[in-house]
Amino acid sequence: MQVFHDAATRVQCPSIMDWKAAGKPVVGYTCSYTPAEVFHAADILPVRLRGIETEGTEIGDTYFGPFICTFPKCILQLAGKGRFNFLDGAIITPGCDGMRRLDECWRKAGEDYEGIVPDYFYYFDVPHKAEAHGMDWFIDELKLLIKSIEDHFGVEITADKLRSAITEFNKGRRLLKELEDLRAAGIVVVSGADAFAATVAGTVMPREEYTAELRKFVSGIKRRKTSLSEGKARLMVVGSVSDEIDLFELIENTGKAIVVAENLCFGIRYEGNEIPEDGDPVAALASHYMGTSVCPRMFGKYKERLGLLKERIARSKVDGVIMQNIRFCDLHGAENGLFERDLEAVGIPCLRVEREYGPHIDAGRMKLRLNAFLERMTAVGDRPRHRDVAEAVSEPV
Amino acid sequence: MRPEIKEYNYDWLMGKTLSTAARIPAGTKKETELTYRYIPYFKGAAESFINAGQPGIRFLELLGKYYENLLTARDDGKIIAGTTFCSTPTILYAMDILPVTFEILTAIGCLVWKRGMFDYMDYCCEVGMPETSCSSQRGYLGALLAGLSEDVEFILCDTPGVCDTNANAFAFAAGYLDKPFYQLNYPSVIGDDRSQKYHVDDYREMVRFIEKQSGRKLDYGRLAEVLKEVDAQDAITADIEDMLMMVPTPIPPVFNLILYASRFCFAGHPEYTELLHVMRDSARQRIRDGIPGLSAGEEKLRIFLCYIDHYTVDMNFYDYLEERGIAHTGSILTRNFRDGNKYVEDMPSNAYAIDISSPEAMLDTVAQMNARLPMVRSIRGPYDRPGMWLEESLACARLYQADCIIYNGTPGCRNTWGMVKPFARDMEKHGFPTHIMYDDAFDDRVESWETTKERLDEFFHIRGLL
Amino acid sequence: MSIVAGCDVGSLTSKAVILKNGRIIGSAILKSKPRPRDSADAAMAGALENAGLLQKEIVYCIGTGYGREKIGFIDEAVSEISCHGKGARWLLPTARTVIDIGGQDCKAMKIDPDGNIERFTTNDKCASGTGRFLEVMARVLGVSMDELGKLTAKATAPITLASTCTVWAQADIIKYLNSGVPIEDIGAGINAAMAARVAILVNSVKPEGDIFMTGGVAKNIGVVSTLEKLIGRRIKKARRADPQIAGAIGAALLSWEKVNGHKKAS
Repeated sequence: MQVFHDAATRVQCPSIMDWKAAGKPVVGYTCSYTPAEVFHAADILPVRLRGIETEGTEIGDTYFGPFICTFPKCILQLAGKGRFNFLDGAIITPGCDGMRRLDECWRKAGEDYEGIVPDYFYYFDVPHKAEAHGMDWFIDELKLLIKSIEDHFGVEITADKLRSAITEFNKGRRLLKELEDLRAAGIVVVSGADAFAATVAGTVMPREEYTAELRKFVSGIKRRKTSLSEGKARLMVVGSVSDEIDLFELIENTGKAIVVAENLCFGIRYEGNEIPEDGDPVAALASHYMGTSVCPRMFGKYKERLGLLKERIARSKVDGVIMQNIRFCDLHGAENGLFERDLEAVGIPCLRVEREYGPHIDAGRMKLRLNAFLERMTAVGDRPRHRDVAEAVSEPV
Repeated sequence: MRPEIKEYNYDWLMGKTLSTAARIPAGTKKETELTYRYIPYFKGAAESFINAGQPGIRFLELLGKYYENLLTARDDGKIIAGTTFCSTPTILYAMDILPVTFEILTAIGCLVWKRGMFDYMDYCCEVGMPETSCSSQRGYLGALLAGLSEDVEFILCDTPGVCDTNANAFAFAAGYLDKPFYQLNYPSVIGDDRSQKYHVDDYREMVRFIEKQSGRKLDYGRLAEVLKEVDAQDAITADIEDMLMMVPTPIPPVFNLILYASRFCFAGHPEYTELLHVMRDSARQRIRDGIPGLSAGEEKLRIFLCYIDHYTVDMNFYDYLEERGIAHTGSILTRNFRDGNKYVEDMPSNAYAIDISSPEAMLDTVAQMNARLPMVRSIRGPYDRPGMWLEESLACARLYQADCIIYNGTPGCRNTWGMVKPFARDMEKHGFPTHIMYDDAFDDRVESWETTKERLDEFFHIRGLL
Repeated sequence: MSIVAGCDVGSLTSKAVILKNGRIIGSAILKSKPRPRDSADAAMAGALENAGLLQKEIVYCIGTGYGREKIGFIDEAVSEISCHGKGARWLLPTARTVIDIGGQDCKAMKIDPDGNIERFTTNDKCASGTGRFLEVMARVLGVSMDELGKLTAKATAPITLASTCTVWAQADIIKYLNSGVPIEDIGAGINAAMAARVAILVNSVKPEGDIFMTGGVAKNIGVVSTLEKLIGRRIKKARRADPQIAGAIGAALLSWEKVNGHKKAS
């Protein structure tokens, strides 16, 4: 567990440093639409770029304007401070406007701060739709990315290597699915914070090491007897990108709630879905990474996402949903507005809260709203029975 | 939203106001002056358009006619589609569908009403949109969500990946009102074979979507007529563009607004062609008379707005330019990027051509034309890449002999605020004093017009420009 | 009969209320000190003196507000949202929608017949929807908060204020003052800017039944009257006690429920 916690809370965690010490390359990426398997197949460690451990955002603020969410600002802040100098490459993806501008802001900051732009700096053009021609474009982009990695790093990424990578990653996916099933049980023996740390760690650790640790973690959980969910509200966290373990800890430290599910960029989401290990690996990767619409950047799929949420709520017996958005994140901010309308309408209490990411996360404010929300849920008689919840959300979307 | 706002259909309000304004100059000079006394709240806007001469009056008529069509659409069995200014209405006109362009209809409310579109913008927030969403959609969108405008059958947008907050507004509308929705999606590069093909593939899908929603097939014969009209419009626009390059320019500042607002709403309409004729004739007359476009007679400064104009009430922004003797050489909205224009010589990938020789050629034409509208053309990728915002702005600033660059937008504009500072620094390096405005082009509550004006004056003064 | 208390430590003011048999027998409002603990102690001391009681006679005390966890003498901490809901119901038994504009944030809530929260929404990412905004603006104008409220009725042409950012709003006001714009119009503009932001919040909870306002800003008649126009509904006034102590009253009521073994009603 400590391994996961270290990986989840430190930018330059031991796993990454050990990998570098072995003389192997590390490439950072910004978006969950980037297939990590591609790097694994080239013996490159893929690490998800994050904004934790920032103490200010003056570098981020210099290049990004004022009306931009703090997530890319924090990443740029770390880059400007040299905290990402261990990277041999970075992949920038148009996840959203704020994140895609990390490309030019980082490069421009590189003109002022020496050595902060990795040698390999690539723009991976992920479309906003998964329909036929969008998927074709994505497959082409993947092939271009693969070729680019091969050329720059002097490696060969064969179809077999990709299939091996998929197989390896699937082991972890199966374990993550087991973890999700454990969290969905009537009696939950693992905290949301620990589960989240385990998931976030998977975005920065070498896969074999991660799978081994995850196996230990999951089998350990299966042996536990003490309920962590007894008498507590079962909550789900959705919304803007978050890799912040302390957000989950904030919720669970109230002593009145446990996070049993989430729909977050760093969360399990569809991680539990395995990718076919035979056939064309590039097509398989494309279909998995872009095929399921779980992010509002895939515009026009609100109903599908609402359906997904309702499914999760029923499966994990969720009592209430916390919908957070980082200020200036309009995609999640607006979608949370729709979710709130439609989930409250079927009796699922929702808490919408706007916040900051990074050094300005104000715990006091969050705690106030959390407590009020929990009080609201308990004040109105018994909490909705899980069966009622399942019935309520099983109505056609 | 205040209760009294809920009593009126917004489209009806605007339509009646604008058509009435268009009739004001029909009287004698005395009658016109008297009328102004009875419309103290609209006098500012009305006068500005009417003083611009026939182009301003025709523009008001065009808008009035547009609203009349909108308000009678259902009775005439027509379909209405919600869309954005970066998506050409030509395909919709070809299919006899009426486009409702959110941003233009917001801008009109901002220009005409003393309190702007505040009530409608706030209504969007009441029903779930964050207040940081772009105000340009949020004005008209508020009316739509509140049921205070004509309803739309389906929603189109083409800004995912280019302007997410724009796309998000349309996606929210579709989710809130449960309307069919189609997003055109643009890659981050332009002009290469791959993206050209993607444009067409995506557009073809959109046409299928529109056909399904409307129950009618795209008539390529009709599309050919519409594109022929666009071709004629592009030719006149090219002349106007050339005239904007003259020093002094015979084009008054407000002509920019009339030019692009009409293009976003009426491209392909014969009335727009007529309006363009009138604008060009008016400018040519000024050349013959030896007078510049600025009413005071002297051009003291030339600005290029690298993004959009300011739509504060009473046309204050355009009047301010007139007062100060500042020529408006265009914005990202002015240029249409039709091939043949001088400014596309160094950026041929950014231009489109018109070919109506076959249905495939026409589909290709309209797909490529759509992909060259503002924002989707040069904001789609990193700003310093070929054909993107920096290259385009520099080309325009040089050709149009701008003395300085002004950036004006909205706090909701994530895609420009994400890099406008490095962009401004680069423009300065290329020798163009650059001013970043911190106001909201559509919402004076962010920064009052008085303060915006002061800051502009301060910039011009400190940089020795005025 | 148990004597219970509630203490509400806010960013601008701290309040304490002592209840006996459902009646207020002592209360105090005072300006908050830098440390919440000191504010709470002072408020409680004031209320006790008012009631002629000693601390040890209080059977149960709930603390609320931003500083609630720092208060030494409380038995339990409850969110101010829940406390304001309860307090609002006590102050106006028909209240169904409650608006609370405090020093640091702004909240709108719907409550059930027992004053329990059914829905709430908050906005506090920006000072311009809070009491802090009015405080700053009043200072720039050189008027008291009370006087600021009265300016709306005397205005003829309220200004439109840059209300998204308090800093820029201040700059705007100074400009208007220097250009000789009447102070009534400026004051009315300030109140209107505040009311507009609050209106969005209120409308988002879809107000029903009687609407009631708590918190210090409830005493600004300019904001209240403009808000009424914007939402098209009357905002009822509290007659039983000062609306500013609603949170403390609610905390005291929850203390009473605790002591008397009442479960929160459904």
